Amino acid sequence: MILRKYAFFLILPILLSCTPRDKRQKIVFWQFWELPVIQPQIEAFEKTHPQYKVEVEQLTWQNGFDKIVAAFASGQVPDLCELGSTWAPQFASEGVLLEVTDGVRTMKDTYLMWEPVTVGGKIYGFPWVVGTRALFYNKSLFAKAGLDSTKPPETWLELFNDAKKIKALGKDFYGYGENAGERHILYKKFLPFAWSNLGSVLSPDGKKAVLNSPENKEALEFLVSLLPYAMIERQDALDQGFKQGKIGLLVSGAWLLRTIPQDAPDLRYGVALIPKPDKERGIHASFLGGEMLVVPLKAKNSVGAINLVQFLIQDNNAGALAKAVKTVQPATREAPQDPYFSQDPYQKVFLEQARTAVHPPPHPKWVVMQEVLNDALEQAFYKKKTPGQALDEANARIDSLLVAP
Amino acid sequence: MRVRQTFLFLSPWLLTLAAFYLFPVIYSFVLSLLNFNPLNPSATTWAGLANYTRAFTDPLLRRAAFNTLYFVAGTVPVTTILALVLAILLNRSLPGQTFFRAGFFVPTLVSMVVLSLVFKQLYAQDGILNQALSLLGIQGKAWLLDERTALPGIMLMDVWSAIGYYMLLFLAGLQAIPRELYEAASMDGSSKLSQVFQITLPHLRPVALVVIVVNTIRSFQVFIEVFVMTRGGPLNSTLTVVYDLYERAFYRFEMGYASAIAYLLFAVIFLVSLAQARFLRLGQPVGG
Amino acid sequence: MMKRFLLWAVVFLAFLFSSFPLFWMLFLSLKTQGRFGLQNYFDLMASGPFARYVLNSLVVALFVVLGNVTLAAMTGYAFARKSFRGREVLFATVLGTLMIPKQATMIPVFILMTRLHLLDTYAALILPFLVDGFSILLIRQYLLSLPPDLEEAARLDGASELRVFWQVVMPLAKPALAVVAINAFLVNWNSFIYPLILTSRQAMRTLPVGLALYAQGEHSLDWGHLMSGSALSALPIFVVFLLFSRQIISGLTQGAVKG
Repeated sequence: MILRKYAFFLILPILLSCTPRDKRQKIVFWQFWELPVIQPQIEAFEKTHPQYKVEVEQLTWQNGFDKIVAAFASGQVPDLCELGSTWAPQFASEGVLLEVTDGVRTMKDTYLMWEPVTVGGKIYGFPWVVGTRALFYNKSLFAKAGLDSTKPPETWLELFNDAKKIKALGKDFYGYGENAGERHILYKKFLPFAWSNLGSVLSPDGKKAVLNSPENKEALEFLVSLLPYAMIERQDALDQGFKQGKIGLLVSGAWLLRTIPQDAPDLRYGVALIPKPDKERGIHASFLGGEMLVVPLKAKNSVGAINLVQFLIQDNNAGALAKAVKTVQPATREAPQDPYFSQDPYQKVFLEQARTAVHPPPHPKWVVMQEVLNDALEQAFYKKKTPGQALDEANARIDSLLVAP
Repeated sequence: MRVRQTFLFLSPWLLTLAAFYLFPVIYSFVLSLLNFNPLNPSATTWAGLANYTRAFTDPLLRRAAFNTLYFVAGTVPVTTILALVLAILLNRSLPGQTFFRAGFFVPTLVSMVVLSLVFKQLYAQDGILNQALSLLGIQGKAWLLDERTALPGIMLMDVWSAIGYYMLLFLAGLQAIPRELYEAASMDGSSKLSQVFQITLPHLRPVALVVIVVNTIRSFQVFIEVFVMTRGGPLNSTLTVVYDLYERAFYRFEMGYASAIAYLLFAVIFLVSLAQARFLRLGQPVGG
Repeated sequence: MMKRFLLWAVVFLAFLFSSFPLFWMLFLSLKTQGRFGLQNYFDLMASGPFARYVLNSLVVALFVVLGNVTLAAMTGYAFARKSFRGREVLFATVLGTLMIPKQATMIPVFILMTRLHLLDTYAALILPFLVDGFSILLIRQYLLSLPPDLEEAARLDGASELRVFWQVVMPLAKPALAVVAINAFLVNWNSFIYPLILTSRQAMRTLPVGLALYAQGEHSLDWGHLMSGSALSALPIFVVFLLFSRQIISGLTQGAVKG
């Protein structure tokens, strides 16, 4: 009798210990892609690494960054975080990310785009996917203007002439799409031309501004010369204009590859490398951007995070992500060998462009410099200053930034 | 006994204030005296009043202040008057009254983010606005890309979206006015218009305080429209104080300076509200 | 007669002007792949957690409305009718809280919620907004525009302060309370930045955040889904508005006060 009364208390602890408590280590992962896209990879990771449980959070593109900043400010950081390549240098130079230099020594050469997370020779993160900009052109408009639709422009002069011919088609047509009125974007459209002309923002040692070099001035003057034949609008309006068949040539990103089939399935278009100054001069440069994966220094589970990173950036996984979203490509050097990329006429060009794309100087004050550059570009586009004047002034401002503490 | 009861009535606010406002307000005030980088809180250094003195010599902030004042001066009076007129008109029996009231209020139902996105499209080179204008033979342009029309464009949208909301507040205020006053005045032979001035407006003073002060406060803090539509451009013509503050905090990571700007803005708003209350004698009970 | 018609015409034109962009939104919400239909709406409702987002928004909004209509009203009443030491100063704090931009207090609030272990809870989304400065202000101002005679009468009849408040003041303040309800619902329903920062799990997301995640890509906007989501989102507020605006318009007339 008494035994029966106490039996319950004896069984209870046994029952309790049998409760399936999640003994797996938690990895908190903040990223920007839609859950249906990232979930399969998370599940695959958990299967091959059963000791981990990943908590994924999707951030919004518009304001997700605010949340990341708030997290760092309060110390409540995720274990693994996706950061845009333009944001990463700031975080890296503040010393709030885990240093992984030694760990990545062997894999370094198999990936592009380490610059955003490299400070003073030390590496603080991993490249995940790249996104560059290429030249989109409307084949129907080319044909209409009497141009060979299989020959997109390769030099600046060709670009200028093609744009002019297409603009001549009528009031509602534009030869080129020029960005305006949007901060944080303008410089991404100018720098490719500057870099193609072998100009740069800072001197190789990063101590002096060379923004007003003749090469850069030439590049800006070229862009300004395109204005009369261009639609001048924001990026999304330009994208829309291109989809509507109004713009002949536009520098844009791979996201168009995703939205054109949805919004303009009948559009006949092509993708080409960004033109270089001359057949003999310069390179086909573009803007190299993308997404990095970083581990905050204060992460609770940095070991788990590292495991997750290494899984995610593998060619097949990053590739799966790229194929699902179509707006980026894997950061691995071997990506072009994947038939998906090598056989798709558009993806192929983007990958090729990524190889000659340049990343802005990973200087901790780049965010401020970029604004100075944007101001100068706006001044030139709105005809407040000549390209030369605008760049001279910007150069002086950046020089003073470099000497300031 | 009296005091204890009053305390009871005030306790919800006291609790909320203590729990959710005191800490953030003091915290951000302290931040304004520091060089605080949110990415790296441990590297914080003392700045004293440096952030504040910097604010007074910052050309960008000066531009933002000018734009913001322009915005407030241009939207608050217009919104207030239009809302008042609409409320008075829709307070009497007009066919379709409820329908109209609902219709005017509808812009308020949609989130400002979405409204801004919609207007961004509307104002585009080949957006609906220009299409409508071309029917009238007027050539439109990309309104948000011209430094002279970008801010007015945003102001127009702001007025459009706010009228219905303040109209509602005025409608509520109109309910407190005894109908007999109007009846008596009519019997005395005064016109509808003079009744508005003699009876309606004086009785609406307390509610008008809410409308004007709140509208002013919110206008000084205009942010979302700028964030979604123009990001401060072109050429800083739509840069507002709160947007500048936000960029400094979250893009430049100068949170101390951003906090100083916030408190300077607070001081300005406070003084303006005080002036409004005093000048318009809006704080007193009716008949006082 | 002509004057009345002109008046009506002006109002009607203003109404068109006011509602036109919204008709356009509805139009956009019905377009998918160049065709018309309700597909966007179906997509949205089928996209898993959408119902959960609506539920979360509803729960939060409901509590905030309740809180403001009762607690904030109490405070507004105290400011309007009671005199006590420090009344002006305390009222200044009410206004003060409206004057500090959210962007400046965002991070401290986040830190506060973290310390209180309230992240990812309904509490974080409800408590700070339960007693809003605007509600207090509106109630106070509205009461100031009413003569205190009825309350005096009730007090002379021997009613306790609480009874005076609940049975005399609240019914009198119906129009203002209706506005407070509509406003509280509205502000919270469309609130974006705080829910974004204060919640992490998908299960705790509110509607505006869910919609942004769903329809706003890095470089592209899914207009069809964004508009349909906004239309669906606007529906509950519209219902609240219709319900409460009746209270505003048919508020108790002051005919009870003789003399």
